[in-house]
Amino acid sequence: MFDLIIAGGTVVDGTGAKGFIGDVAVKDGRIAAVGERLDGDARRTIDATGRVVAPGFIDPHTHFDVQLLWDGAARPALAHGITAVVPGNCSLSLAPLRAKDRRALVGMFQQIEEMPPEAFSEAFEWTWEDFAGYREAIEPGLSINVAPLVGHSVIRLWVMGEAANQRAATPDEVAAMQDLLRQSLDAGAVGLSTSFVDVDENGRPVPSRFADFSELDALSAVLGEQRRMLQIVPEFYATDITIARVDQLAELSLKHGIPTTFSPLFDNRLAPENVSRVLTRVEEQFARGAQVWPQMQTRPIDISFSLLRPSLFFARFPRWVRVLRLPLPERIAALKNAEIADKMIEDAGPDGGMAAFGELVVRAGEAPEHLVGRTLAEIAAERGQSPARALIDVSLEHGLDVAFVAASRGHDDTSRIGPMLASPFVHIGASDGGAHLASFATYGDTGYLFSEFVRGSGALSLEQAVRKITSDTARIWGLKGRGELKPGFAADVVVFDPDTIARGEERPEFDMPGDGMRYVRDSSGVETVVVNGEVAWEGGRYTDAKSGVICPLN
Amino acid sequence: MSAAAALSCSPTGLDDAVVEAAEVVAGHDGAAELMVRLRHGNGASSFVTLDPAAGFDLLRAAGADNLAALAGRPWRQIIRDL
Repeated sequence: MFDLIIAGGTVVDGTGAKGFIGDVAVKDGRIAAVGERLDGDARRTIDATGRVVAPGFIDPHTHFDVQLLWDGAARPALAHGITAVVPGNCSLSLAPLRAKDRRALVGMFQQIEEMPPEAFSEAFEWTWEDFAGYREAIEPGLSINVAPLVGHSVIRLWVMGEAANQRAATPDEVAAMQDLLRQSLDAGAVGLSTSFVDVDENGRPVPSRFADFSELDALSAVLGEQRRMLQIVPEFYATDITIARVDQLAELSLKHGIPTTFSPLFDNRLAPENVSRVLTRVEEQFARGAQVWPQMQTRPIDISFSLLRPSLFFARFPRWVRVLRLPLPERIAALKNAEIADKMIEDAGPDGGMAAFGELVVRAGEAPEHLVGRTLAEIAAERGQSPARALIDVSLEHGLDVAFVAASRGHDDTSRIGPMLASPFVHIGASDGGAHLASFATYGDTGYLFSEFVRGSGALSLEQAVRKITSDTARIWGLKGRGELKPGFAADVVVFDPDTIARGEERPEFDMPGDGMRYVRDSSGVETVVVNGEVAWEGGRYTDAKSGVICPLN
Repeated sequence: MSAAAALSCSPTGLDDAVVEAAEVVAGHDGAAELMVRLRHGNGASSFVTLDPAAGFDLLRAAGADNLAALAGRPWRQIIRDL
């Protein structure tokens, strides 16, 4: 008898093969059978008629390291059909970490994740120092699978202490880092992450940025012993340097026989050749036998700002620039000055800023609840003002601490990005799930892939899109027996409605420790999520299943 | 990213480079950033992306209070005044 049969759905098995109407049977946490009509009884049958049955989605770039200590579902990732996440990106993981270094690491994590301080002081107990200890701390509570990276910055911090973000390492220190990396890989780490870009809470470069190439080469040699992943954050704002990093990764990949990946890679109107130039070099390096996977996110990038800090959002409006660059007291005084405010409004255009500011949406923060989620055009109409006037007045009424978001202001041209995502050399990822909590939602990219690029533009077929975020990801990262609906593989399964799967609207959620706020997006169209054979999310609710594991590796 | 660091990203041949265009773009972390496209004397183009602090420094150094005023300005002259 099977444990579960998901019957009558369109089976899209993750390989890219054409979907077919059929059944998927599960037993003992694994796929037991897949076929057009399966015989045999099951303890439970789920009717998937009219739905797609696919392998669970895999998110290869997240920062759920801290959240997993109290939320084993990495909410709301699981609700979007994601059954495996890779935390520990960008050189930062929670282990290995000596007790004396915790404060330093918390600062770096807060910079990236924007996690409230209570998360580190109240939400969990630090019980570990080494990577095996961190694994033991999270594994019992997991309802999602995890393939954790170990961070280069914390390895440096362990070995070099305060010198980690001051200088290059000595040969003895490099050897000690190699030992520590080897221990972490033996404890289940999927690879090593490093960054050439990130800074800590004081704006100082994170420790990994002080490594010279010989250090990265030595650590890659350890990765080569087990053919594990090297993830980097390159200088993505400069095409030429990114291409140089592609070449560097290719050398490490060829020399040590390792897969490598870098993120993010963005499209941009002002530099429309950026992605094509990088991908051309990636393709050349693949032709040499190297594995260098660029990660590209599906979602557009939003701009968020308040008048508390000067934002370049106003760079097209000279009078706004002049006022917003003033020190805060003078800035508030200038905004209250009727003559100056009138000139700023005039600067915003003859329509009172309707075109420039009308679509801005008020976000949570100090803004009153009745304004949150509404456009400035709506608020201005209600107040009988122009949008530019409303922007100034609403801000002044709340000490300038009112956040606005301008949606889809980068990486937002579907006609260009669709073919990029479909490229066999592009790895769909870079969601940053669990990071930038107070700035924007990093969830729902998989739903957006289907709504925008499958149903919308048709840049990818349903089968292509599923493959991109299931078996391709599992293969690139060496996740053993995942990413396909195939007998013997882990029973990670998502059942979704192909006509409605999407990401929900961004909304504030106060579910972080200390009632901390983060932006989230709910899923839509995802009906059932199975993790290692147990139903973990169904009918809009999380279950009590704790069937997630640290992913076994090839 | 500091202005100095960003400028180090630029290719050689800065003496001939002029600002071709500048545009506000969405940065990775949701902040508005300034992307400046340069046209070099040999006809090649390149770009640098500046975070808010560096972007405002650049506008100030160029004596510009809006993006359009950057167009056509010699890059070398701007960064000399940073």
